[in-house]
Amino acid sequence: MATTSPGHANVTGPTLSRRDFIRTGGVLVVGFSFIGTKALKADAGRPAAMKNTLDPTLPGSWIEIHPDNTLLIRTGKSDFGQSTTFTAYRQIVADELSVPFEAITTVVAGDTDSTPDGSGAFDFLGEGMPNIRKAAAYTYQALLDLASERLGVPKDKLSVKDGIVSGGGRTISYGDLVKDQQLKLTIPVSGDLTSIMGLTIEGNPPMKPVSQYSVIGKSFKNSIISSKVAAKTTWATDVRLPGMLHARMVHPKTLGSTLVSAGTLDKTKFPNSQLIVKGNLVGVVAPTEWEAIQASEQVASGTKWTEWKGLPGNEKLHEHLRHQADWTSTPVAKGDANKGDAAAALAAAQKRLSATYQFSYMKHAPIGPTMALADVKPDGTVHIYTHNQNPQALRGEIAMMLRTTPEHVIVHVYPGPGHYGRSNGGNAGAEDEAVLLSQALGKPVRVHWTRADDMKWSTQSPAAFSDVQLAVDEKGKLAAYQIDHYMPAMQDDRPIGAVLAGLPTMQAPQPKGDFVSSTVNGISDPWIYAQTPNVMELGHGTFQVGQQASPLAVGLRDHSMRTPGQFQQNYPRELAINEAAALAGADAIQFRIDHASEERVIGVLKAVRDASGWETRPSPRPDAVATGSTPVRGRGVSVMLRSRTYWACVCEIAVTPATGAVVVEKYTIAVDPGIVVNPMQLKRQVEGGAMMGVSHALFEEATFDESGITTSDWISYPIPTMSDMPEINVVLLNNPKVGTYGGGSEAANALAAPAIAAALHDATGRILRRLPLKPAYVQAMLKT
Amino acid sequence: MVTLNVNGVRHQVQASDDTPLLYVLRNDLQLIGPQFGCGLAQCGACSVLAEGREVRSCVMPVSAFANQEITTLEGLPARWAKQKGLSPEAAKSALHPVQEAWIEQQTPHCGFCQNGMMIKATELLESNPNPTVAEIKEAFTTSGPSPHLCRCGTYKAILEAVQHAATIMTQRS
Repeated sequence: MATTSPGHANVTGPTLSRRDFIRTGGVLVVGFSFIGTKALKADAGRPAAMKNTLDPTLPGSWIEIHPDNTLLIRTGKSDFGQSTTFTAYRQIVADELSVPFEAITTVVAGDTDSTPDGSGAFDFLGEGMPNIRKAAAYTYQALLDLASERLGVPKDKLSVKDGIVSGGGRTISYGDLVKDQQLKLTIPVSGDLTSIMGLTIEGNPPMKPVSQYSVIGKSFKNSIISSKVAAKTTWATDVRLPGMLHARMVHPKTLGSTLVSAGTLDKTKFPNSQLIVKGNLVGVVAPTEWEAIQASEQVASGTKWTEWKGLPGNEKLHEHLRHQADWTSTPVAKGDANKGDAAAALAAAQKRLSATYQFSYMKHAPIGPTMALADVKPDGTVHIYTHNQNPQALRGEIAMMLRTTPEHVIVHVYPGPGHYGRSNGGNAGAEDEAVLLSQALGKPVRVHWTRADDMKWSTQSPAAFSDVQLAVDEKGKLAAYQIDHYMPAMQDDRPIGAVLAGLPTMQAPQPKGDFVSSTVNGISDPWIYAQTPNVMELGHGTFQVGQQASPLAVGLRDHSMRTPGQFQQNYPRELAINEAAALAGADAIQFRIDHASEERVIGVLKAVRDASGWETRPSPRPDAVATGSTPVRGRGVSVMLRSRTYWACVCEIAVTPATGAVVVEKYTIAVDPGIVVNPMQLKRQVEGGAMMGVSHALFEEATFDESGITTSDWISYPIPTMSDMPEINVVLLNNPKVGTYGGGSEAANALAAPAIAAALHDATGRILRRLPLKPAYVQAMLKT
Repeated sequence: MVTLNVNGVRHQVQASDDTPLLYVLRNDLQLIGPQFGCGLAQCGACSVLAEGREVRSCVMPVSAFANQEITTLEGLPARWAKQKGLSPEAAKSALHPVQEAWIEQQTPHCGFCQNGMMIKATELLESNPNPTVAEIKEAFTTSGPSPHLCRCGTYKAILEAVQHAATIMTQRS
């Protein structure tokens, strides 16, 4: 997700101290100390910031160097399939420390009691300066200091290769530098451990010049893949504790129902099961999973809930958003690129486009539903075993729910099904429910949601619409561009079980929330058409749909999802730019190039043009047809700047007008992230993202009626199969002169939609300004 | 009480006849390769081989497998070793070529669905050692109770891994 980082403070730097001499072993550990006033600062409405409960000399430090020349690194960022913690992070540390990739033998990630920094599993390469890089840079300087002292050679006369320091004709390994000593390097940090952003390492240690990188840029394998493939990984779903009970939840009938009466558990059929009710939270536990499943279904059939019909239903969603939603209570966000006088230029223009673009609710839809195992100990200590993108934030949320402090909550993180942002604010569902059931029973309880629970009771990626007005002048140039983005709040981090049980949680999204829970709809799609003289981008925010009407204060809860917010803004912009090019009678790639100033924007566009075999001409194609049962073909383009990486794609489609069926035949994508850290892993990430992009563009729409989500499984929420896969061609543009690296796991999923919609226009001469491009919607549009 | 033959080992398990095989494998036999994805036979994450055919363990009752030879992801190396007559020593350290190919091609992202993908690939390659792209797509899309779904979108990497595994298996046959 898009993030803002705290300002970097200049500090006096790190301190290295020697601790007790020890006879065997020895280690250099890199701990931390808080600096400045940012420490312990809490965001409004969030759990109070905690200092880290760990002794920095114990596990929890960033980096350890061992006498056998091996290294261990720790990060709060859990791997969700991005591979970054196991590949890029090791490569970055290896180059900063001048050690081989293989010297980093252990990566500890995620667990709240053994990792230092918190934050979510997003933007791993944060501004090109992830915490782990700075920690390595500080460590390198400390190792040079130690070597200088040991070899009697000034620091600037030393050189390092493969973990061996040379100077004055002598050499010493890192392992020998730390042997028989216990060394602690303390480095400065700021931030709030249990906030969404976690801690940030401060200061400006010297960094290795790009010219000296030898590990970055190579295709190292992801070490966790071999264990997953061999069934040797312990997944969150595999964790079992002695005395553990299995649970299934009986969630309310609607998103606004309160409990009238829980069904009676049939003890003759399910003698070992128990029913737990806490407010509107209903759960059934049993020693075996199959009994819990059957008993919960029996209880559910007899449970009575109040009726509630407070949602517009998906067929009236956009009418509701346009006319009923409250867009006035939330301050309007303005784009950084706004300039000139768009309104005046639009009024004066001859060739104008005025159009609305609609974006549906989508589910994160992990391939396995969410689950968690909780063990609330008699002394109140809570252990949670789960799969989580921000375990430190979860720790804060659980502590708030239990009216305790985060020190009493430990989150153990295991691999699980990717859920693409759903838990980057702390919870994915089930964690808090497992805690409440375990607390009630005094035993470990494992809550596993059903597929339907996961579709109906999880958060979703918010729907949105955007109004575009643009004008093209007589020279075919974009004279003015105005876009008004409308989107309900995107980040509701309240744990649902706590809400149902009536226990303390953070506030629901509201205009004065902090930067994550606010209803403000910031402009998150950087403007790249710098040669446009008049630009106005505005973001309008509101409450979640149903949030205020629901007696549970639930409604359609939203949460950021892969390329969050920017997807909702880039889709209308890029489709509108395709339309602008058509209005100007210009080729859609050349039109973009002619309006961009930045070399890297132009670079990715030219690269994708060459790689796709793009024919330069205006859209629609001269022989476009909107009728008939013969497939017609078209192509479209889109471009995005995200997390310092420049992306462009060309999608080629075949559409059958009579049925409205769209098939993506070829997807060519060019990526300039600056330095490519790991070509193989980046290529695989982009291919997967491209496939998800086809899914978002063609298939995904979470449907709902007046009471709740009606999407419940893979039939009602289809995603692509292998047969839906286009030919995918990834072009990686390694661009070391940029001097840093950008993200690679997002953007590809969002780029497809405007390019595919533009390809539909190219093929048929008709434009569908609504996602997804389902056959029924395409067919209906072509018929009008 | 049900008797099961899983990965070449006979097990007596205390489970009611209607318990889906998945829960017996995961909770009673600690075989964690198959995963719960949907409980509806719609995704393939729970797949195992029964008599060499891919089945969905999340919906099939354990009683249906009484006289069948079941292979889970854990059992793929031994299955390959037996087919190739490898020595017990060689079998211990080896992975199934499908697993090797999945590593070589760096196929998984989150990896949660890949159990079913590798089971499906094994089923396919045992009957068709050199499948075309169309045959691979057909196998993963229409040959079973439902398509095998990957939410991370790794289909290209899966397809390339199947081709890679086919090459390895042909070389070693």
